[in-house]
Amino acid sequence: MLEIRWHSRAGQGAVTGAKGLADVVSTTGKHVQAFAFYGSAKRGAAMTAYNRVDDKVIMNHEKFMAPDYVLVIDPALVYVADFTAFEKPDTVYIITTHLTTEELIASQPKLEGKKVHTVDCIKISQETIGKAIPNTPMLGALMKVSGMYEMDFFKENMIRVLKKLPQKIIDANMIAIQRAYDEVK
Amino acid sequence: MADTMELRDIEVWDGNMAAAQALRQVQVDVVAAYPITPSTPIVEGYATYKANGYVDGEFVMVESEHAAMSGCIGAAAAGGRVATATSSQGFALMVETLYSASGMRLPIILNVVNRAIGAPLNVNGDHSDMYMGRDSGWIQLDAYNPQHAYDLNFIAFKVAEDHDVRLPAMVHQDGFMTSHTAQGVHTLTDEAAYGFVGEFQPMNDMLDLDHPVTHGVQTEEDWHFEHKARQQHALMTAVIPKIEAAFAEFEKLSGRKYNLVETHQMEDAEMAVICMGTSVETAMEVVDELRAQGIKAGVVGIRVFRPWPLEQLAEVLKNVKAIGTLDRSSPHGTVGMLYNEIAGTLFNCDTKAVLNNYIYGLGGRDLTKAHVVGIFNDLKANVDAGKLTTPLQQYIGLRGPKLSFF
Amino acid sequence: MEKAGWDGFEIGAMLRTFDGAIQNIATTLPEDRAYSQSSSFTASVADWRIEKPLFNKDYCIDCQFCWVFCPDMSIISRDKKMIGIDFDHCKGCGICVEVCPTNPKSLLMFPEQKDEESALVEWPKKVKKEKEDEVGEE
Repeated sequence: MLEIRWHSRAGQGAVTGAKGLADVVSTTGKHVQAFAFYGSAKRGAAMTAYNRVDDKVIMNHEKFMAPDYVLVIDPALVYVADFTAFEKPDTVYIITTHLTTEELIASQPKLEGKKVHTVDCIKISQETIGKAIPNTPMLGALMKVSGMYEMDFFKENMIRVLKKLPQKIIDANMIAIQRAYDEVK
Repeated sequence: MADTMELRDIEVWDGNMAAAQALRQVQVDVVAAYPITPSTPIVEGYATYKANGYVDGEFVMVESEHAAMSGCIGAAAAGGRVATATSSQGFALMVETLYSASGMRLPIILNVVNRAIGAPLNVNGDHSDMYMGRDSGWIQLDAYNPQHAYDLNFIAFKVAEDHDVRLPAMVHQDGFMTSHTAQGVHTLTDEAAYGFVGEFQPMNDMLDLDHPVTHGVQTEEDWHFEHKARQQHALMTAVIPKIEAAFAEFEKLSGRKYNLVETHQMEDAEMAVICMGTSVETAMEVVDELRAQGIKAGVVGIRVFRPWPLEQLAEVLKNVKAIGTLDRSSPHGTVGMLYNEIAGTLFNCDTKAVLNNYIYGLGGRDLTKAHVVGIFNDLKANVDAGKLTTPLQQYIGLRGPKLSFF
Repeated sequence: MEKAGWDGFEIGAMLRTFDGAIQNIATTLPEDRAYSQSSSFTASVADWRIEKPLFNKDYCIDCQFCWVFCPDMSIISRDKKMIGIDFDHCKGCGICVEVCPTNPKSLLMFPEQKDEESALVEWPKKVKKEKEDEVGEE
């Protein structure tokens, strides 16, 4: 069982990101789950989304999760959200920030000694998609850090997941995914 | 003629999407709806499919849930295949009309995305609304995941519309835990799904102008009792065999098997938990882990909540020594519903199981695997002692001092 | 109507107006329609009356007020001409008399046992205008 927790703000696309990831993973024959805590459901409010991936049918519906990966797609949440909750010794963190990994750990001591990767999904999405929707770049970074899938396979499936969007937006998302894949440290 | 939609064999859908797709595939004629969280995407989905030409039907926007079900009743009496969705306070507002739908024997399908009922206001999932509907004369089917939410809609239409049944049916799923949780859903093709349910066969429809009928008549002391008895007779005798037949036919079509009462590791279980919704599957996973430690635990899930499968439950529970009933609804002044129902089910049996009750998960509070392990620890103590070692009713997952009653 | 047992009637809170199929119902006169036992048309309420309305066609202007206002569809009108009263369904409420605008009224209430012939003989004459005004002020 692979478990992923997303930390996001409502409106940044964590649910779409989690569901998109689940969709892609599902095509490989694995079983998936994607869900979220909505809380007050107001745009901008801190929220969490979740993925479970397993080789067998996922029966567990508890919301409690000790994540293998924590994806933080809003740069401020590492200072205000309990993003290390129920972490495991080998939990991997991928965090959106304009800081270097060293600067980030210095600014948030909770990350010391952890497996931390950084990527600026906000900047990437602003420069490619044109607004701060950091969900798809985070998936690019996850592909690099986890080695989960080849980039071509992943992008091909994400094009299908995003098929209802205008072609221009889909293209921009593909660039964003690739950039995050290349830039994550 | 509506366009068909090409679906992949496995789509990653949440429970709402699964239910909306089912409504599209059976080509519901009329949806009258007043959307409410967390069921909104079901009727929104139907409206989108209709607007994009994937369904031939009518979407009626109304001013309340009371009007939504009233619109459904009118459309069903007129002779259409009818469905809608609601949750929580919306369900509560619908209650009056639910009794009209069942008393008028109109096969409406209501997707209930189970949600807490305020105050305090809460959009998250518990079973308060489902429990509120249990005396309304509807068939009630319970889904534990998005796949079930999809499949049980087909079962519901097929059974409800059968001329030997002609009763409305609810398909329940857990708010957010199922409705907003995306999982792999094995799909049916549009043709197979529609073929399974079949073309709608009207009965006593108002639009049959050669056979004028009056629907919704008044009766008093002279006729009312006979009408309600007839309704109960259909619910008690016709529905279970039709559901079993539909389950069998659906298994042939899809390979997926459903039962009136779902069981897991019950063959030699000495203790069992009984619950509904997503909790059933979480408990199944816990039981597998306990079995690996040699603990003889089992799970019983209610699939068909109304009509209550009394005989089937008595059978699966006949050899257990301790039973924990898990109610996700505040019982407000008594034991939980499942405690009451199971106690009633087993009272005239030889079973001497020790029975207790847990209130959990209100307002969407998480039921963790650790909670379920704790419940089985209680049950094991009850098995060993041969009597209750805990209070009869305990609250779990609650902050503050331990709360229990009786 | 026979009071059947719980298993002796059709399901639903539903009643049939006719036994079997019926065509062209809109162009069939009520008395020619094969209403079923569950239609109230087959039930008589004649014995509910204490008084009955009688009709004097000499004064009737066929305004149809009585036909419009009768709560039990007991005014028989054909081709917009008032022709009489359906005494199987008239409860004797007197609304038709109340709304009749002619002077004297073309419909008046009489004791149930009153025969039509003598009623017509005794029919009141036209009332003078000032009397009308008094009535209007009530």
